[in-house]
Amino acid sequence: MIMGFAKYWEAGKISVNTRLNYGMDLLAHALLKGIYIFIFINLWGVVYSQGSNLIAGFTLNMMIWYLVMTEAVVTSPRKIVEVIGEKVQSGEITNSLTKPYNFILFEYANSMGQAIINFTTAFIAGSIIAGIFIGGFHIQWTTLPLVAIVIILGLTLHFLIMALLAIFSFWIEDAKALNFIYDKVVFVLGGMLAPLEIFPHWLEQITKYLPFSYIAYYPAKLWVQFSMNSFWNVIVGELVWIIVLIITLVIVYHICIRNISINGG
Amino acid sequence: MKEVMKEVIKVQDLIKEFKSKQKEPGLRGSFKSLFAPKYKILKAVDDVSFAVKKGEIVGFIGPNGAGKSTTIKMMTGILFPTSGKIEVLGYNPQEQRKKLAYYIGTVFGQKPQLWYHLPAIDTFNLFSKIYELDKKEYEERLEYLVKIFQVRGFLKQPVRKLSLGQRMRCELIASLLHKPKVLFLDEPTIGMDLIVKKRIRELIQKMNREEDVTIILTSHDMEDVEQICDRLIIINEGKIVYDGSTKNIREKYLKYKIIRVILAEKASSLKMSSLKIGFKGMKVISKGKFSHEIEVDTTKYSIQDVVQKIIASNTIEDITILDPPIEEIISRIFKKEI
Repeated sequence: MIMGFAKYWEAGKISVNTRLNYGMDLLAHALLKGIYIFIFINLWGVVYSQGSNLIAGFTLNMMIWYLVMTEAVVTSPRKIVEVIGEKVQSGEITNSLTKPYNFILFEYANSMGQAIINFTTAFIAGSIIAGIFIGGFHIQWTTLPLVAIVIILGLTLHFLIMALLAIFSFWIEDAKALNFIYDKVVFVLGGMLAPLEIFPHWLEQITKYLPFSYIAYYPAKLWVQFSMNSFWNVIVGELVWIIVLIITLVIVYHICIRNISINGG
Repeated sequence: MKEVMKEVIKVQDLIKEFKSKQKEPGLRGSFKSLFAPKYKILKAVDDVSFAVKKGEIVGFIGPNGAGKSTTIKMMTGILFPTSGKIEVLGYNPQEQRKKLAYYIGTVFGQKPQLWYHLPAIDTFNLFSKIYELDKKEYEERLEYLVKIFQVRGFLKQPVRKLSLGQRMRCELIASLLHKPKVLFLDEPTIGMDLIVKKRIRELIQKMNREEDVTIILTSHDMEDVEQICDRLIIINEGKIVYDGSTKNIREKYLKYKIIRVILAEKASSLKMSSLKIGFKGMKVISKGKFSHEIEVDTTKYSIQDVVQKIIASNTIEDITILDPPIEEIISRIFKKEI
């Protein structure tokens, strides 16, 4: 069993290695995130200057640090849908399917390896800009490991949804459109652009139960407004969705793999 | 692992059909296809049966779209047959893909498996974990393969900086680390120069000799097949048109070569002292102002003699000796009604 796990651990390590090989690319990625946070600071600064110090229960300081987290989480994994779609279109997927590993688990390990590096650089860059322009906020350092668990589960959920969409490229070969739609759904309904509390009450209630909110909104909210009660609620919500998605993914994968059409001769 | 049978691969009545969308040309055709798509059933593999014994090196050749890669993909478990039966080392490749994967190796010439941005050694280390190899055994095996494939000098360079020949040697090592019983090689020498091709062929033969690896090789290069393979299966339009020894096909069908000459000066025909074109055994295939192609029956003339006479009698820019295209061989096989 240990030998079985070791292959996925190694895949994660090699993914980290690959990502670290391109320092300039990482720097550019970090710079871009910093710019986004700077834009958000100015945007929300204007919004908050119009009236109350509190919007949807968030101060300006909390809002910015919330966005530092959502920006880092949502954009950290690689675009699985495009990666797998391209592998199917070019025929490169043959190399994955002739190896003794679970294709989805392997891609998960790969994705998480890269996500950890991307998340770290984006979070550091965003934090620097937020720290300079808006100041820090009171962090309960003891809660950080718990927030980290929620973030990892959130990234796992993010991967599972993308993997489900990617599996359809076994069938339709080009799932880029699905990727595009999913990105926008997470931006809005996942709380990446703003906390879900800004929505009308009825929409807020619906989105809080959807899986997208557990990717960015809940981890970021826990980061700026931690409570043990919230922590356990988020964990349960994430685990429920993870189980549902794993079961769906396994079923869909077995159906789609029979219909795969591999290009490239 | 299940008991290894004498026949390591058995393929019976194999059929693979694909549904292909048919679209009329132009914008109108695109809209029509969106709302009322039409499909055509394509039979990529049409009732194919054969068996491969342990240690054989089998060349699997055919023109583009013949069905050879589709057959290979079904043997490795990637594609599901429409009907028919396949058994590789006693396993059903579709139902037991992961179990079978421990005992087969694959190299797809146009689809690299090495991590592009990292040194090959990183991929080898990853593969040792994927195949669950014992650390000590892996290190000894790697040392052995590095030595015979002569890759030590560039093992730690990123793969993207290696030449095609270097990359292929590393690809072969990656496919052999786990001592596979069957090796599937799809166009392993594509894009390489003659010297590198020769080296790759030698290494493939060495692995077959020393480790009794059964090898299935697909290639467009007839010389790959002639040099390496004992047996040849020719597939065309999804059907097997020839299944026999490589020596036999050489004797029966590869009795001629094509010589392509580019002259330095314009000429209406090639000059050849003491040889006349048009005689039985030598004929013009094409001629232009500078470029001429002739077909030479190698049972009547030595290629070396003919080339020497052409060089002696003409001022040439370039001369190339070619095998007849595979389509030509297939056409002649059909004419012989095998």
